Amino acid sequence: MVMRSNPDPSRGLGWDVFLAGFVPGLMQFHLGQKSRAILALVSCLALFFAGWVMVGERLFYWALVTPDESGSPALRFAARYGLLLTLPELLNLPGNAIGALLAWDGSPSGERLWRLPRAMEHLGGFLTAASGMLAAFWSAAGHWDLRRRRDGGDDAPAPIANPALCAGLSWLVPGLGHARAGQKDKGLLLGAAVLAVFALGLLVSHGHACDRATASVWWIGQNLCGGGSLFAALITGPLHMESAPEHLSLGVVLCTVSGLMNLVVMVDAFSVAERSVFPVKLSEATS
Amino acid sequence: MSLLFRCAVYAIVLFLVAIVVVGQRHATAKDTLRAALPRTGRWTLWSAALVGVMFALEAAFIGW
Repeated sequence: MVMRSNPDPSRGLGWDVFLAGFVPGLMQFHLGQKSRAILALVSCLALFFAGWVMVGERLFYWALVTPDESGSPALRFAARYGLLLTLPELLNLPGNAIGALLAWDGSPSGERLWRLPRAMEHLGGFLTAASGMLAAFWSAAGHWDLRRRRDGGDDAPAPIANPALCAGLSWLVPGLGHARAGQKDKGLLLGAAVLAVFALGLLVSHGHACDRATASVWWIGQNLCGGGSLFAALITGPLHMESAPEHLSLGVVLCTVSGLMNLVVMVDAFSVAERSVFPVKLSEATS
Repeated sequence: MSLLFRCAVYAIVLFLVAIVVVGQRHATAKDTLRAALPRTGRWTLWSAALVGVMFALEAAFIGW
């Protein structure tokens, strides 16, 4: 474990580091990890365009604020030049921007194309979103390396597991990050709690609660439970809905709550691994 | 029946959320479960109080 040399370890790494996190690999490049930087950029772009070939301009329809004809000119200008407010794709800024630059068409006929359902759009939408989440985990890995270098120096010991990897594993399989960081039984319990809420949401809504095509804003929260939203994208999303189930809205809320619960689990998995190098003192934990 | 169903779902979800919330302060599943039970009870009381206040406001400003 490391005795901190930094007088204020709670100090952040600054806005420049935060903003650099939106470009996958930029922080690794700054750290001198060139091969990891290339891997980060290529993996995020490959995942984005694997989904993009299925959804294309349909992605614009799922933006947090749809930049249509009636929208504000500033929003349309931003979308035209690559700053489309699609979450979590925005976290992979280069992929999101290239997609918007390639296919943005704000004319009425372009808008009609956004509304047109695509074959395999559930899987495509999941893949483009996964590229944003992957970019966030690469960014977390860069933050961790910078923090370790700043507060631990060159002789800082290796953590029990990479915190960013733990967070990423927890996104895909809730609780797996804790297991990787040495808290197997707690990981199992937390994972079961998250997945139980997600499954309950799908159950009461007959499988229609997690569907990016019909509830795109709610889906942003639901996607924080990556394993659950992947399951929904592959199995329940494509199911045909003849009429809305009685408890559809309850199911949508439950799946979103599950995603937010998993956000807490991901952050905790990161912290558990982080504390193997930088333990939190009791006075800090209770203050 | 629908109200009963929703209350049952609420109680279950409250407990599961409590597990995740208190889990941040504990290292084992046993400790987490032990701490989640009283937390769920406390949240249930707060929820009941909130519903009570809303009914009171409804009675005061809208009427029964």
